Amino acid sequence: MLIDEQGQAGGQVWRAKDRSILSAPATPESRSGDNLRERLAASGVRQMTDTRVWQIERQGEHWVIHTLRNGAAGRLHSRAVILATGAREEAQPVRGWTTPGVIGLAGATALFKQSIRLPGRASVVAGAGPLVFFVASEIRRLGGTVAAVVTPNTRADWLARLPSMVARPDLLWRGGRWVADLMLAGVPIYWGHAVKSVSGDDQVTGVTLCRLAADGTPLPGDIGIAADSVCLGGGLAPSTEAAQLAGVAIRYRPELGGWVSEAELDGSTAREGLFLAGDGCGIRGAVAAELHGQIVARTALRHIGQASASDPALERAYRRASRFGEAMTVLSALRADPIGLATPDTIVCRCESLTRRTIEVEIESGAVSSNAVKSGQRAGMGPCGGKYCQSSVARLIALHENRALSEIAPPTPRPPIRPVPVSALAGDFDYDDLPMPKPAPL
Amino acid sequence: MIRLVPDHSARIQRTEKVPFTFDGVALMGCAGENLAAALMQAGVLHLRNAPGDGAPRGAFCMMALCQECVVFVDGQSVESCRLTVSSGLVVKSRR
Amino acid sequence: MSENHDIAVIGGGIMGCAAALRLASGGMAPIVLDRGDLGQGASGVNAGTLSLQIKRVRLMPYALKGHEEWARMGDAVGFRRTGGYTLAFTEREAELLTERQTLKAEAGAPIEFVTNNQILTAEPNLTRRVLAASYCREDGYANSSLTGQYYRGRLREASVPYRERCAVTSITRDTQGFVLHTGGPAIKARRILLAAGAWLKPVAAMLGVDLPVDARINTVSVTERMPPLLTTVIGHATGLLTMKQKGNGTILIGGGWQGRGTPQEGRGEVTADSLIPNLSLAQFALPELGQARVLRSWTGFEANVPDFYPLAGELPGVPDAFVLGCVRGGYTIGPYIGRLMGEFILGHSPEMPVFDPGRDFEKDAT
Repeated sequence: MLIDEQGQAGGQVWRAKDRSILSAPATPESRSGDNLRERLAASGVRQMTDTRVWQIERQGEHWVIHTLRNGAAGRLHSRAVILATGAREEAQPVRGWTTPGVIGLAGATALFKQSIRLPGRASVVAGAGPLVFFVASEIRRLGGTVAAVVTPNTRADWLARLPSMVARPDLLWRGGRWVADLMLAGVPIYWGHAVKSVSGDDQVTGVTLCRLAADGTPLPGDIGIAADSVCLGGGLAPSTEAAQLAGVAIRYRPELGGWVSEAELDGSTAREGLFLAGDGCGIRGAVAAELHGQIVARTALRHIGQASASDPALERAYRRASRFGEAMTVLSALRADPIGLATPDTIVCRCESLTRRTIEVEIESGAVSSNAVKSGQRAGMGPCGGKYCQSSVARLIALHENRALSEIAPPTPRPPIRPVPVSALAGDFDYDDLPMPKPAPL
Repeated sequence: MIRLVPDHSARIQRTEKVPFTFDGVALMGCAGENLAAALMQAGVLHLRNAPGDGAPRGAFCMMALCQECVVFVDGQSVESCRLTVSSGLVVKSRR
Repeated sequence: MSENHDIAVIGGGIMGCAAALRLASGGMAPIVLDRGDLGQGASGVNAGTLSLQIKRVRLMPYALKGHEEWARMGDAVGFRRTGGYTLAFTEREAELLTERQTLKAEAGAPIEFVTNNQILTAEPNLTRRVLAASYCREDGYANSSLTGQYYRGRLREASVPYRERCAVTSITRDTQGFVLHTGGPAIKARRILLAAGAWLKPVAAMLGVDLPVDARINTVSVTERMPPLLTTVIGHATGLLTMKQKGNGTILIGGGWQGRGTPQEGRGEVTADSLIPNLSLAQFALPELGQARVLRSWTGFEANVPDFYPLAGELPGVPDAFVLGCVRGGYTIGPYIGRLMGEFILGHSPEMPVFDPGRDFEKDAT
């Protein structure tokens, strides 16, 4: 059984078009995604799409997967579970990053792939690694205007990664074409720069850029650019919450995107019958993720007693793809101090509108763990569950306490993995059927 | 001008436009289109106010994590990036 | 290098911190140690209900004093005296409500029985299916999340040192008192107070004492912000529901439904088998809750001994060692019983009796 939150399988990279698209030119992503979905449909794998998993529990010899679909809760029992929860996008807080019209860089790709829509009429595209050029190029392909491309990476950063990229000449060639097209079109590319603030009240009107020092700190000399939308990316981080709730530990691996779930190469974890595949155990990219899925499936098959030999060729291919993906992840982390561009009045926690200053005051008065800041100021108690502030909060604690980021764990994740309406959990019930335990002692 | 990345905008065919409302304002969107995308296309970016400071917010992550694009349909809060447009859909905000 | 203190308090929850503060004001030099963050155990993850209607009859005098303490702590801990209703939906529950709340009123809690009209005027969003209800004007809540930061501030003000993420791994004796071994330098103290909540059993075992401490694993949930739906604290005749809407609009739901896990494993797990009936009961009481999305559910370990009365006194057989914990309604009573314990250790005669940890737990506590 394949369970997916989206309407169709494919994840973020191979996200399918929604029903409003009758026809559109194919792209490498749409071809790969369609191919995958065709193979899935032919395979007989049962699929539960539009389905959210809100909790995973071990009960006896089974895992119980709690689902939410069409407003109703359900549960599945299974001897083996593969969590392929992928990544979430990080964003560096800057003044105005909460203004309507600012969307994630990976978020923009979802908009392109699913709805084939543009984020605005003139967009600033900012972020690290190859994604920023992909997004800018897609805006051009869909008839939009790129006001500027802004990337913390320098051309020297890219040159230094060439040796790991030659393993994938196809991707190297594709990326080169994106950059060349932008240059031909006269789109300004700000290498070694970042968006330091976004202006606009209820809609973006422009951004201010700055050049970055090697350690990610902003250098003087602001550049203003008019735009009605911003695609802002801060790299990808593994989604570890589901694995953590199932009892898998996390470890700090900045070269793999930050805190990653602990798993072996074959996907096994410390929990019996629980396996991890793809970016959730380290950001290595789509190509590596597909190969990893095949490796982990073999491990899961062996767990349920079906003969499935490991395949050394597959593992070699995975290692090769990982090298490319890891190089891109490292590139995305260069000059990316998660708090380096936030002024004291910059909002760090979007859900609760908490500024950097508020968080720092809390830390100075003794809240020196992610959980303590969460408890005291609600950074992480809002509806996003801390996904968009935890890196910044950890960095602020690290700075104040002069400790390594590896010592500052993110806040304890809590179920539900996604928000769930009470009515969906309660369902239709008779009061008299509620399994009421014995009352407390008098 | 030489384009290495072709312009595909004219080659995209969509479903028919259907009416829906956002806080009572009549809008049009393609049937079956992602609601967050349709609102963005209709120029509606300001979807809610942050509870802390009342500041305007709009769709951000586009993958149902950040909860910034939450709207109300039939009184139930739901991420607009996980909904689709249908004829007569009534969308409300708590702006 | 090791440090010397008059007393080491193991466990930086409400009781440990309140005791340390009283000891410091009485002239002792305490140190507070916690394996995690201050106030992040039961003290910081409970539902924050301050209700006399769910306190044990014999602990009522302590709970009344506890309410006074919380009122004094005020805004710093998010204290609100809202009044609270306890609801019964069936004949059996109505009987239970009448019997129990009558005894609690006799024990000194200002509890009265109210008519359906009164309750629906006060809380119009509650279900119409209330059969009987009681009201206590003293009831309310505080924000348990603020416990840690509140006590950090109080300890700093009182110049009481505290160490977080400092687990005691073993305890030995020397001529001066106790030597507490941690990951870092050993800590020496003439006396020791064990206030480790659900972790009391393994900590007491370090001193060779077997305390019959068990842990309940209470589930708490919170919703997203909602329009105003409730103004008071809502309870249930069985004690299996507590519900309140905070100033920010979120609705907090508790009632002691049991999750899974043990303190020794270090984590409790929310299980759908108890979360779902907990939320169903809450939705039954407040139908509009159905449209709220649950954002977080979690568990907290609540320590208890077989008679469900506190441990507050000398640790049996170990001179200069004391124990404090296992207080049913410990969030409410904690600040007060912590202070009492401080007075007891200082050698003063406490305002109210403490609870001998060496008693026979199969009998009623004396």
